[in-house]
Amino acid sequence: MVEFHRFTLENGLKVIVHQDDTTPIVTFNLLYNVGSRDEDPERTGFAHLFEHLMFGGSVNIPVYDEPLERAGGENNAFTSTDITNYYITVPRDNLETAFWLESDRMLSLDFSQRSLDVQKSVVVEEFNQRYLNQPYGDAWLLLRPLAYKVHPYRWPTIGKDPKHIMDSNLQEVKDFFFSYYTPNNAILCLSGNVTIDEVKHLANKWFAPIPPREVKPKNLPKESAQIEQRVMEVTRSVPFHSIYTAFHMCHRLHPDYHVVDLISDILSNGKSSRLYQNLVKGKELFSSIDAYITGEIDEGLLVVAGILNKDVDPNDAQGAIFEELQDLPKSLNKQELEKVKNRLESTFTFGLTNSLDKAMNLCYFELLGDANMINTEVERYRKVTIGDVQRVSSQLFNVSNSSTLIYRAEKR
Amino acid sequence: MINRTIPPPVSMPQELHFTKADVHTLSNGIKLLVINKGDEEVCRIDLVFHAGSRYQQVNLQANAALMLMPEGTSDHTSKQISEHFDFYGSFLNIDVDKDYATISLSSLIKHFPNCIEMLGEIVRTPVYPDKELSLWSQRGKHKLLVELEKTSTLAGRAFFSTLFGKAHPYGAMASPDDYDFIAQSQLRSFHSSRIGSNFLTIILSGKFGEHEIALVEKCFGNLTKGSDASPIPNGIAVDASGRGKVFLEKPNAVQSAIRVGRILFPRTHPDYPAFLILNTILGGYFGSRLMRNIREDKGFTYGINSFLAPFRHSGVFAIATEVGVAYTDPTLIEIYSEMKRLRNEPVADDELLLVKSYLMGEILRNFNGAFPMANSIIKLLYYNELDYSFYDNIFKTIRTITSDRLMEMANKWLNEEEMLECVAGSRET
Repeated sequence: MVEFHRFTLENGLKVIVHQDDTTPIVTFNLLYNVGSRDEDPERTGFAHLFEHLMFGGSVNIPVYDEPLERAGGENNAFTSTDITNYYITVPRDNLETAFWLESDRMLSLDFSQRSLDVQKSVVVEEFNQRYLNQPYGDAWLLLRPLAYKVHPYRWPTIGKDPKHIMDSNLQEVKDFFFSYYTPNNAILCLSGNVTIDEVKHLANKWFAPIPPREVKPKNLPKESAQIEQRVMEVTRSVPFHSIYTAFHMCHRLHPDYHVVDLISDILSNGKSSRLYQNLVKGKELFSSIDAYITGEIDEGLLVVAGILNKDVDPNDAQGAIFEELQDLPKSLNKQELEKVKNRLESTFTFGLTNSLDKAMNLCYFELLGDANMINTEVERYRKVTIGDVQRVSSQLFNVSNSSTLIYRAEKR
Repeated sequence: MINRTIPPPVSMPQELHFTKADVHTLSNGIKLLVINKGDEEVCRIDLVFHAGSRYQQVNLQANAALMLMPEGTSDHTSKQISEHFDFYGSFLNIDVDKDYATISLSSLIKHFPNCIEMLGEIVRTPVYPDKELSLWSQRGKHKLLVELEKTSTLAGRAFFSTLFGKAHPYGAMASPDDYDFIAQSQLRSFHSSRIGSNFLTIILSGKFGEHEIALVEKCFGNLTKGSDASPIPNGIAVDASGRGKVFLEKPNAVQSAIRVGRILFPRTHPDYPAFLILNTILGGYFGSRLMRNIREDKGFTYGINSFLAPFRHSGVFAIATEVGVAYTDPTLIEIYSEMKRLRNEPVADDELLLVKSYLMGEILRNFNGAFPMANSIIKLLYYNELDYSFYDNIFKTIRTITSDRLMEMANKWLNEEEMLECVAGSRET
């Protein structure tokens, strides 16, 4: 049971406090309800570029990292399709430094042209490092627009083209900031060696004076149901063919979400899982294979992705994947479902041993509607029945609901 | 109105406090370290063997002998074993480096008894079925072939094999073809010679009671000795560090992977704590000189860092980055100029104070919770069997080090002509 206390400042900032006095460290996690799904289709990758700019100095503090390092702190951030999340770990005595730094950049950024120019270049190198200079690195750049036609999940967080990043200007940076980086669009969690009174005092001192701003409404286009199989083939300089097949699934708050998550675990979580036992070991078609869900807030994807063994035909491999998916509802037994629930409970519980994971989860569940979901999440998985898995997998694993990327190895 | 231009006051701990592990001895002499801490009902057991790749006769022998332990015992098949660990929601992780092999199992406390029994079985009686070995070899070869497409892998491998020499245990690298030749008999002989009580230390961490400690005795107190007569060597000859420049062409690469560095010393060396601080200033944290210069000022890269890779009888200092191919030479120039600056100019008080504070925070973070503590204690054991005074000594050095001492370190260890430079990428831009 993760105990916590919640309060909301007058400007709309939600604050969650989880006390854990066994650690000398405090985790400060700040979630902004903005991700790449909020981007202009002509400026993809902007939310993530913006995350970089958040470290380029704020209105009263010229550099962000230095004062934090001086306080023995460390920080990082990530951007997803749905959220942008900033976090700090700092020795408990220096907690106020975190409040000071984060509140100033919520108040306003420095908006420096120089910082924008340099970070554009850094982000393009990140794009190159992660997506272009790795074997199979561009697969997600191809798969997303195949699976989505209108929803902004059709581009990855890094953006669909580095040109969008290079073309962005300072006015767009300002607009983005004032549309999303406001106290009424953020959730703060403190986890660690703190008291509620201390957090109330510091939150009132540093965050309460920031005025609320109007948040740009999310009018995201809804992806219509896919009615026809989609297949795309590319050829690249890689040693082996690979296959990525994506199926549209329900949104994060749909009652079937946990069912789909367990389906992906039945398929590939652990060495005893079906795809590993049958396709890597039994039929020896793949050298590695994985199934996972994107876990996004709007309707996401369940993806099966694998690298083929030498001389295996991609069509045969794809056929074998579909056979497995169609067999799942027929052959699932109680023991197998119990197994993936046990693994899930274990993974979740291990996550609670880490104060950063706890703080991130509390913020994320609060965004979904209630931080207390952290305490009831395992129960929701426990309630899934064999009937649920059969019903949902039959809906999900329809050929007409699939988008497949066949990633062929160039002959050398 | 608060004045937001004035930073809140900060303070730093004057002393380092951390819980030490309790030490037990199993009936066969195995040392068991126990870290009983945490609120969640979870625990982890780590088996640390002196059984790294340096003890092998042929490439991949240590790796295969460890990785294939869960692939069949006299009583259970590979599938039964993975079903068992998976059903109880436990996570088995096996890691083999140059000096050590570590087998870790994490589970909820309620499933620990079931999991540790099976762990004991796979450690004592693996049978290495031929079929499993051939599947493992095939997959391993494939994964390595994919890895070798990455410029970072190419540069990293060239760096270590050139530093130590390909024939040296710390410089040897498996090639894809090695997977075709590894045989069952070699796995068995490695197991019987090194996977024994005389080469093992066990660490138990998390929230548990006397019962779990008794289970460790039950499952590992009867482990027999490994037959390797020469127990744990006290030294390993390291000839002069490889130096010079290596370039590996990777046609059409978008970025070059760069590794620059040298052989240094094991962590027992008196210069280690001071050099650790010097390394932090150069490339060991986000605000380091290399990051500020090459990422934050020039935008050549997504990231650059420097680190100390410890071995039991040696140590390596390395700078690692991936940069756009057109930035390769300008980056190298900046790297050497940052080293030169450390040799010729004293580190300013302000920067030194900042790095000291940052490092103290790092030490606190390394002891934040049962599992980070277990990791920190394993790191002590690893390589040099250090004791807790190692951390006290680093803490003390952080508090007292001067810019003169740092300059002395830079002049002793950061000379350009003693560096090895490896680049994997493309000359065409």
